[in-house]
Amino acid sequence: MIVVATNLTYFLAWGFLDPRNNYVGRRPPLSEDQIVQLLQPRNLSDTVSLLERWWSWFSGIIFRWDWGVSPVGQSVNDQVAYRMWVSAELVLGATILATVLGIALGVYTASRQYKLADRIGQATSIITMNINIVVAALGIVLLAIGFNNMVGTTVFFVTGSASSDVTGFFPIIIDALQHLILPTVALVIIGYAGTHFLQRSLLLDNINADYVRTARAKGLTKAQAIRKHALRTSLIPVATQVAFTIPTVFMGAILTESIFGWNGMGRYFLETIAKNDIHGTVAIAAFGAVLTAIGALLADIAVVVLDPRVRVS
Amino acid sequence: MTNPLLSVRDLKVSFPSETGTVDAVRGISFDLKAGRTLGIVGESGSGKSVTSLAIMGLLDENVRISGSITFDGQELLGKSDKQLSAIRGNGLAMIFQDPLSSLTPVFSIGDQLIEALTVHRKLSKRAAWARAVELLETVGLPNPERRMKSFPHEFSGGMRQRVVIAIAMANKPKLIIADEPTTALDVTIQAQILDLIAKAQSETGAAVIMITHDMGVVAKTADDVLVMYAGKAVEKAPVHELFHRTRMPYSIGLLGAIPRVDKAEKQPLVPVKGNPPLLINLPDACPFASRCPIAIDACHAREPDLVDVGNEKMGEHHAACIRSHEITDGGLIDGRRVFPLPDVAERALAGVPREDRPVTLEVRNMTKTFPLMKGAFLKRKLGEVHAIRGISFDIREGETMAIVGESGCGKTTTLLQIMDLVEQVDGDILIGGTSVADVRGGHAERTLRRDIQIVFQDPMGALDPRMTVADIIAEPLRAIGTKKAESETRVDELMDLVGLDPSHSNRFPSAFSGGQRQRIGIARALATNPKVVVLDEPVSALDVSIQAGVINLLDELKAKLGLSYLFVAHDLSVVRHIADRVAVMYLGAFVEQGSVDEIFEDPQHPYTQALLSAIPIPDPDIERTRERIVLTGDLASATDHIGGCSFASRCQLFKVLPPEDQARCLGEVPPLTGPENHRNACHFR
Amino acid sequence: MPRNSIQPAVGPETTAIRLPRKRMSKWELYSRRFRRNRPAVAGLVIFAVLVLFAVVAPLLARYDHIELDFLNLGEPPSGEHWLGTTSAGNDTFAQVAIGLQRSLMIAVAVSVGTTVISAVVGTAAAYFSGMFERLTLLLIHFLMVVPTFLLLAMFSNDSGGDWRTISLIMILIGWFFPARVIWTMALSLREREYVHAARYMGVPGMKIVLRHMLPNIGSLLVINFTLGVVAAVMIETGLSFLGFGVKIPDVSLGSLIGSGANTITSAPWLFYFPAAALTLLTVSMALVADGLRDAFDPTSAAGGRA
Repeated sequence: MIVVATNLTYFLAWGFLDPRNNYVGRRPPLSEDQIVQLLQPRNLSDTVSLLERWWSWFSGIIFRWDWGVSPVGQSVNDQVAYRMWVSAELVLGATILATVLGIALGVYTASRQYKLADRIGQATSIITMNINIVVAALGIVLLAIGFNNMVGTTVFFVTGSASSDVTGFFPIIIDALQHLILPTVALVIIGYAGTHFLQRSLLLDNINADYVRTARAKGLTKAQAIRKHALRTSLIPVATQVAFTIPTVFMGAILTESIFGWNGMGRYFLETIAKNDIHGTVAIAAFGAVLTAIGALLADIAVVVLDPRVRVS
Repeated sequence: MTNPLLSVRDLKVSFPSETGTVDAVRGISFDLKAGRTLGIVGESGSGKSVTSLAIMGLLDENVRISGSITFDGQELLGKSDKQLSAIRGNGLAMIFQDPLSSLTPVFSIGDQLIEALTVHRKLSKRAAWARAVELLETVGLPNPERRMKSFPHEFSGGMRQRVVIAIAMANKPKLIIADEPTTALDVTIQAQILDLIAKAQSETGAAVIMITHDMGVVAKTADDVLVMYAGKAVEKAPVHELFHRTRMPYSIGLLGAIPRVDKAEKQPLVPVKGNPPLLINLPDACPFASRCPIAIDACHAREPDLVDVGNEKMGEHHAACIRSHEITDGGLIDGRRVFPLPDVAERALAGVPREDRPVTLEVRNMTKTFPLMKGAFLKRKLGEVHAIRGISFDIREGETMAIVGESGCGKTTTLLQIMDLVEQVDGDILIGGTSVADVRGGHAERTLRRDIQIVFQDPMGALDPRMTVADIIAEPLRAIGTKKAESETRVDELMDLVGLDPSHSNRFPSAFSGGQRQRIGIARALATNPKVVVLDEPVSALDVSIQAGVINLLDELKAKLGLSYLFVAHDLSVVRHIADRVAVMYLGAFVEQGSVDEIFEDPQHPYTQALLSAIPIPDPDIERTRERIVLTGDLASATDHIGGCSFASRCQLFKVLPPEDQARCLGEVPPLTGPENHRNACHFR
Repeated sequence: MPRNSIQPAVGPETTAIRLPRKRMSKWELYSRRFRRNRPAVAGLVIFAVLVLFAVVAPLLARYDHIELDFLNLGEPPSGEHWLGTTSAGNDTFAQVAIGLQRSLMIAVAVSVGTTVISAVVGTAAAYFSGMFERLTLLLIHFLMVVPTFLLLAMFSNDSGGDWRTISLIMILIGWFFPARVIWTMALSLREREYVHAARYMGVPGMKIVLRHMLPNIGSLLVINFTLGVVAAVMIETGLSFLGFGVKIPDVSLGSLIGSGANTITSAPWLFYFPAAALTLLTVSMALVADGLRDAFDPTSAAGGRA
């Protein structure tokens, strides 16, 4: 599936992107020959037939794990290898935070259904979930700038993932946190609410389940019965969903990364399209497909761990 | 006189709903002494389950409860959840209706049982484990040590209910509330579970409240009976008194509406007309008056109290009817029946002998196997489930053939094979003489389908909630291309035929009660004038008083229209009442087949015998004195390869056979043998 | 206000208290339950106001959204330019109105398209089962692996910023996810007895899909549609923000926010107003969807939330 999708993207990319465009408008204008000479060694020249280009690209991956180069000769492998971790730093932390926050809020509000805390929680979540990430991120940028001005020093960095001139173990960590905090907050704000709602409604479904009543009939208080019996059962679909959203979050970080100037996969995605970097684009597509597969696998693992019904059969 | 263990006084429960406050329980009082069993009977919505949940303190927080519930000297109402939780599961225990959903799926049986023990007392891990194993052994689970680590989904319904009972028994409660504990179970399993509850009661000395809609279960288990209707107790008496000196018309109607498995004569059942009232803003009148055949003006003036109508001889007997003193034993008033017997429709084909009537449906050697698959991504075939193993039968015009059996025996699969017109490998299905193998193309199929129609079990699920009744009934007509005007007259005609008001044809199904919806389903099935109507448990989802009306209707239609029915049911009493011929199915094969009286009067196959003996008869005298056969174990799996008789593992006869005969049971599949009107598949009968 | 519960916390079969059925029509009941949900009503009102604004404001505005006022470059809000101007002299008020209009049009078109396609494909796959179902699911799963946002960006980048093309692409790429959800829902519908009944009467398959299956997931479709609008707005603004979506001279909320972001410290009004319009739009639609869900759900106890 992944292989098919990746190859399809390769052909689609050739349909929509043309590396030749990069040289249009160069001064002095490059001749046709010059362009071909630049592109041909990079397997990006349309003077070679598409099938041949595809084969040398595809065989490169299969035999040498070489995903090709960009129109200016950068190795796609290097780019992805570096940027992947930049993105992961941002996305994984944000996903974990959003999940924990969402589950906690879901449990808290579900056990106080229709009380004030529940309604405030619900209202907040429905708003944050539907704020566009762009608006949320830019809003946070404005607040941070305001805060920095007020304090008179740069507490939060609004661009980049790290400063280049910091040395020492603790300074590097602090510097990283200063950069990390704003985009993470932006991602958490829009990300937690989905988990919150899912956890809340699943838990509410389970609160009225027969087995929770059995547990109460045994002598557990309502709160104990919910905590012990309803929560465990309702965690299963939540875990599945979180695992499935990982690739979505990765790709959703495109906007966050571009706003906060992080050189992650999202940024890379924008650059490859803007620069007609076909090999880069396809690599990102493959990366996304792999993530989806990993997400599905994680979901399966989560279900197996949490649900004895699956474990046994 | 000792103090009662449980004393309920003027209990009222109401909760808000979209259309107003529902008064689910409207003032119930009763006492229960230690060791006694109180049966609470009533139909759905009578408030019997709400009463039990109120005693347990398990109702929602938004429910208003008033009155008093004293248990073991303590007032329960007004206690906090925390205070109540010290009593629940300790002095008070409950067994729920649906064993499939009442155990937490993600915890092992052992964990759930140990939790019930440790929540009330400090026990070492080892002691708790030992006690849990002991409990599982008491409730009759084989291999209790090993079963402790199993999860609920690995158990059958009956097994799970045993675990629920073990949990209820864990702390030697003084009172066990059983809320329809056997409704979701098959009849042979029901007998096991009822015995087990009796055992639990004798071992713990507990009082039991048995909540049920089944008069047979009451007759079997209860010492005292409380009949509930519209949130109130309408009659309260010791069990013999209630069954033999019934004084309240509703109770009389309820008893009269039940088909009896032990009665051969085919008199029509006596339905109670109408539906129970909505429990919102009830007027101050007898709630049963609108359905009562002996209601007088005074009944509508005010709601009657529950008054003592007993005598010195039999003790207390309370009834809520102003005419109860006029009613005499046997449900008579002024020497006539309170509920007059309905007329029996004359059978058009009564005089024609069976052999001379045309065959409308014939099934020859039907088989069906499902592949058993495993794995989420890569499916592997593990084996085959033999759902149907070569069954044959025929139905003639004006005849009802019933297939009975427990869940999983393959009776529904049989119906689906017929309705899906599945071509058989080494057999055939003939509808009105046409083989399904000869049907090619949409037109031929539609023509054949005119002759065979189906009525489903669930009267709500079978009707599209977004279509009007007229559209629903007309749908089969439109499918065969009947013109609009023609189908409209036909719809009115059909509604009339099944006893519905044709002027209601533009309403939606949700506006009708369960019994009426089932009538709509029947009208739809009759629209195309079929020869055969397939009835899949058509009355099992209905209350007894409603069920009788539908059964009578089916009887009447058969007589009037000369229909053939293929009737599938698990309820042998209904089958005895309605069927002409019966086939008893076990694990995909018929074990006994023949005319209804032959089989019910002289059951030959051990399984049929056990099945018949397991049905509780709604008469305490008969029920408590008759001999019964209680089967051990569950229905075996249809995947197991069986080289011999499939029933041998549970068979009571097998156990007493000499070893050489047992070897024959295990090694040789018994064929169906005997005369045409009574055949059985047992080597030794 | 008492907290209402439609059903008591008791078992389903034996104790379903006979509630009065059908005293009012279904739609009356739905609308009553919806109206009792105050946030949902507020959402509906806000949405209506936004639509009205998008339709009426361009007529009221003193400036056209592409017209440049060279006397007022990058001015904050004033009597002349109600919401200020851009550095090029565009009137922000007119731009926001047109941008909102454009975003709305795309969102509604996309949501209608995806809902219709996903509903038909999803239910048909569920009903016909067998080969058709397997092929459809294969296609859906395949599309799920393909990073659609990337395709979207590539396609729409190539489309030259015409909103109709963008909508079409978004439909083509957006239908499969809801289709899978609907397929799951329709699976249980397929086993309903009235569907069996129709088949046993000899009603043709497609007719069963249209007459019995689709109407019975109608409420789900309505909710899907509203949520689809939110999702489409989100995606469209994201695309336009990155410069892949609607392109100059056409504007959408996304492209406005995008250009506003560049001057966020010097001319924050360029960010504030489109951002506010966008947030109001999505949040109000989400509230409406939430209210609809509660109103349609027979088991929801949220009726008495307000």
